[in-house]
Formats: sequence, structure tokens, C-alpha cells
Amino acid sequence: MSYNSSYSPNYYSMDDILATQERIPCKFLQKVPRMGRLNPSTEENDLKEGTDLELPLWLAIDCSMGRQPVVAPELPKIFKENYREILKADANAVDLHKFSLYFYELGSYVKGFDHRQEVHNILLHTFITRFRLIMDLANNSESDPSIQQKLDMLERRIYAAGHAAASKLNKWLLESGAQLEAAVLVTNHKKRKRVDDDLIGWN
Amino acid sequence: MFAEKACNLIKELSRNEGVLPPYNMDLVKEVCTEIKLLDEQNKSDGAAVANESGIANYSNELYPTLRVGVAAVKRNVRCLMAYHYNRLRTLRTMRWEFGSVLPPDVKANLNSNEIEWFSKYSRSLTKYMMSLGDEGLNLGVNLRPPKSLYIEVRCLVDYGKYELSDGTVLLLKKDSRHFLPRSECEELITQGVFQHIV
Amino acid sequence: MDDTLEIDNLAVSESEDELSLEQMIEVIEEAWLNEKFAPEILPHKTEIVELLLGQITHMEEQLQQVSSTDFKKGIHQMELDRLKYLVTSYLRMRLEKIETFFTLILKQEQQRTEKNEEPYLNPNEFEFAQEYEQSIKDHFESIMSFCPNVMDTEAQIISPNVNSMIILKSKKNIEGITVDDGNAENNDLIDLTSGSQILINYNSIASLLKNGDVHLI
Repeated sequence: MSYNSSYSPNYYSMDDILATQERIPCKFLQKVPRMGRLNPSTEENDLKEGTDLELPLWLAIDCSMGRQPVVAPELPKIFKENYREILKADANAVDLHKFSLYFYELGSYVKGFDHRQEVHNILLHTFITRFRLIMDLANNSESDPSIQQKLDMLERRIYAAGHAAASKLNKWLLESGAQLEAAVLVTNHKKRKRVDDDLIGWN
Repeated sequence: MFAEKACNLIKELSRNEGVLPPYNMDLVKEVCTEIKLLDEQNKSDGAAVANESGIANYSNELYPTLRVGVAAVKRNVRCLMAYHYNRLRTLRTMRWEFGSVLPPDVKANLNSNEIEWFSKYSRSLTKYMMSLGDEGLNLGVNLRPPKSLYIEVRCLVDYGKYELSDGTVLLLKKDSRHFLPRSECEELITQGVFQHIV
Repeated sequence: MDDTLEIDNLAVSESEDELSLEQMIEVIEEAWLNEKFAPEILPHKTEIVELLLGQITHMEEQLQQVSSTDFKKGIHQMELDRLKYLVTSYLRMRLEKIETFFTLILKQEQQRTEKNEEPYLNPNEFEFAQEYEQSIKDHFESIMSFCPNVMDTEAQIISPNVNSMIILKSKKNIEGITVDDGNAENNDLIDLTSGSQILINYNSIASLLKNGDVHLI
């Protein structure tokens, strides 16, 4: 049981930190003195009003809120109409990993920038359509491993959880007994030690 | 971009899921330096932006700069805290899996504060377990529902002498096999001394 | 012959307790499932845990006296092991929740004290939670000692997802449960009959769970 994947709210969530590192396009609404260095294509000291720049999500969100927002964030291209059409046509065929490693996470942050709820709808559509695919993958250990590469992080976690549950069930059905095992960290520790020992042996 | 280094701390941890990489003192120091510099700049910008009653004046030219600076500090601190917090979480799990004594090479990857935290946690946990029932209850055993009373195990290391609860002493040699009550070997299986043969 | 008698008496020992061993196991099984599936920590069940631990010690003492050639010993040992698993697993799950959500849990305990409500943690758990919080705080403060004012203590929190979905079984007829779907304007109402099972978000039934009208499965 893991409580670490909860996003509601989790200050220390590594997934959330990595997802908010993704960059999204922004327009600066005000001049920002001394922040010219945020824009790699200029040598100027100040950042001009009207500059278009890709900013990490954490900065874009923080600076677009409240009175007198500094930037206006825009939808990343993977959530714009062209890409939405691709997902609508056949979400299962898409390499979501190439769209973004944190497709759903990023999507739930930026869906607020779109007032017609198109992003909201496409997130749901994509998840529901692909969920079947992931279930099939998880229950069928002989499936093509390259398909896993096309999943985003959330989907990978669901796949891993589903796969672990399926193999536990199989084991139980076959042997009707739970094998007692060494703890995960202990096993990893041993593996690493073996690698280290091998390396020392080489030198 | 701000907080790139801080985020690298998180990337390093997330690449190493399930093990504890060496404490990255150099990178932590660099992040601390970035925070310190940003904070000093924010303080002076803050003084310039504030009006007589100490409230931020939105129309001040430096107000947007201050907002970016404050956001950058916040981000850096979040990454720094998350780095340390998630390391403690792994340490906490190690207390349950290795017991109260860590293997020396794991210990070598910790900084001194982490070692101190580990023994504090270990003490609190022991105290809590001692408070259960009349004579205490070890929560580190009975990790899975029992299916059979006796199980067959193979010893993976030269462990030496091991005393069972009824006083019998066993000599545990590498590759020796034993047929023992499940409750007697569970902890040694978790610690990787025994392998359960099914 | 004496041995057999002793063993058959295991379950009905300490007759001054109002609950039979069987009833105690039923209670702890339900508490275990509830704690396993509920996203947040539930009110403690220390009384039943202490009763069971007493029983376990008692049964262990009695089993010691049974000859190990008696095949019944194995069966009782197994039963005892299962009981121990149930109790330790229940206590481990609570500790894990305390360690994960300690900031929030301690804050809520404080609010309960102020309102004179029953605490959810027992005194030993509460002490553990406080020590845990202090150890994390000390650790963070020593890292940030170079620049202590920038810590964002308000934001440093992990909350459980109280809207996660759970499956419950009702223990009696309940009318008019409000389904909280996050949209306050059109909340649906549902009725449950005794024994019925539904899939619902935790938030809608948290109070029913805590007063024992329903249990999670």
C-alpha cells in the first residue's frame, strides 16, 4: 500500500515536482526588470513586456495568479486542437510518452486555461479509451514490451500495479501459498553489492 | 532557469527508486547557495516595492521581479525538502526491512543528520511496540497471513548460531536446509538470510 | 486427556470479559478491513486490541503446556498465528498512516481536543506521532539553518485523497445519504438497505463508517 502517489495535496511528491518541471508557452504581460536571463535568445538585462517564452509549469502557475499577473500561460501544443483530433481518432495508437511523460498530470494543471472544457474532455476520453488497453497489457505477460514504452507515467504505475496483482493471483492459484520473500530494499541492496563486487573484481 | 539544480536532486532520487543513493552534499550546497542569493535579492527588492506601511505596491516596477524571485525560492525549497523527506521515507522502510542495524555500505551513503534521524526513529518505534499489550509486541513479524505452520528454508549466508524460542540452537551454514516453524524464520527471510523454498 | 480439555477451553477462558473470542475476532476483522480501505486514519480500537493481545498471551501460555506430539497443537498454533497477523497488520497500517499524514492528523487531533471530541489516536500512538513530527522538523530545520525564514511550513503537508472510491456493506437501513460529487448544487440522495453493497466515494460515507453503520469490504 503506498500513500506516496497521492496528489491531493502532497508537498513532497516527486512525480508532482517532475511534472511541474514541464515547460509551457507563456506571454509576459509586464516588463520584468533584471529577468532578461530567463530568455536565452536575448542579452538584455530586462525582460520586455509581450515576450513569448516557454516557462516551467511551477513558474507559469505562480506568476499567472492573483492581482496583476506577470504572465499569461497558454495551452501546450499537445493539448491544442490538432493533437486533440489525433487522440479523438484513436487514442490507443498514440505514443503518449512522446506527447509528455506526465500527460495527465500536466493536463490537469493546464485544463483551466481552456474555458470550453475541450482539454478536460480529451483527458477523460484518452484515459477511458486507453484504460482497457492497459488492463489487457497487465493481464497478459506475453504481450509486446514495446507497448509499455508508449505509456505516460500515470499509465505505467497503473500497469505496474495491475501486473503485480495479476501475477500474485496466478501464483496463488498455482501454488495456493504465499512465498515469504526478502524485503525489497534488502534484495536491491544485495543486487547492488554484487554489481559493486564485480566492478572491484575488474579493476 | 531557476531551481534547475534543485530539480536535479529530485531526478537523481527518482532514478534510484528502491535504493538509497549517496547523499549529494555538493549539489545540496549549490542549491542552498542559490536560495541564499535569491532570498537576499528578494529582501532588497521587497524593501523597494513596499510602501510606507509595509504593503507591496503593485504598480512598482520591481513588483514583477519580486514575484518571480519569490516563486524561485519557493520552488528551490520545495525540491530541497522533498529530497530530504523522501530519503527519510526510504530510511524508515529500511528500519522495517533490515531491523535497527543498517549494513555499513548503506550507512556510508547517509549524512550524519540522517544517521541521527534513523536512530531517533528506531527508538520511537521500539518504544511504541513496547507499549503494546502487557509485554510489548513486535510489529516486524507476522507480515503476511500464515498458510502453513512449518516451512522449508535454505540458508543463503554463513550466519552462525541461531537460537529458537524453545532454546534449541541451530548452526546456520550457507546452503544448509531447515524445516522450521514459520514464526521462527520470518524475520531472517525478510533480512535475506533465509530463502523460503516452496 | 487433560491436554485435550485445556485446549478446548482456550476459547472460553477469561469468562469475565463480555465478548467471546469469536466476537473479538469479528470486531478486529472489521476494523482491519475498514482501516485497510479507508484513505484516512479512523478512530482507534485500543480496547479490543488490548483484549486480543491479552488473549494471545494467554493462549500462548496454554499452548506451551501442550505436548508437541499432540496434532491439535499445530491447529491451535496456526489459529494463533492468524490472529497475530490480524492484530499486527492492523497496527502497522495505522502507523503507516500516522507517518504519512502526521501533520494533518496531529492538527485534526488538536481540533478534536478543543471541541472536546474523542481522539482518533490512542495515547501511545499520539506520543509516537509527536515524536515523529519533531524528528522531521528537527531534520528540516538543520538543513535550512542557513536561511530559516524561507521554509513554507503551511504548504508542507500530505493529505489523503478522501474522494477515493471504496466498496461498502451496510449494516442497517439508512436513508438519505448525500453523494458528494464536488458539485454542491445537485447532490443525489441514496438509500441503503441492510446488507446492500455499493461503490461510492469515501467522503460521502466517512461519518457512517466512523459510527459503525457501514463497513468497508
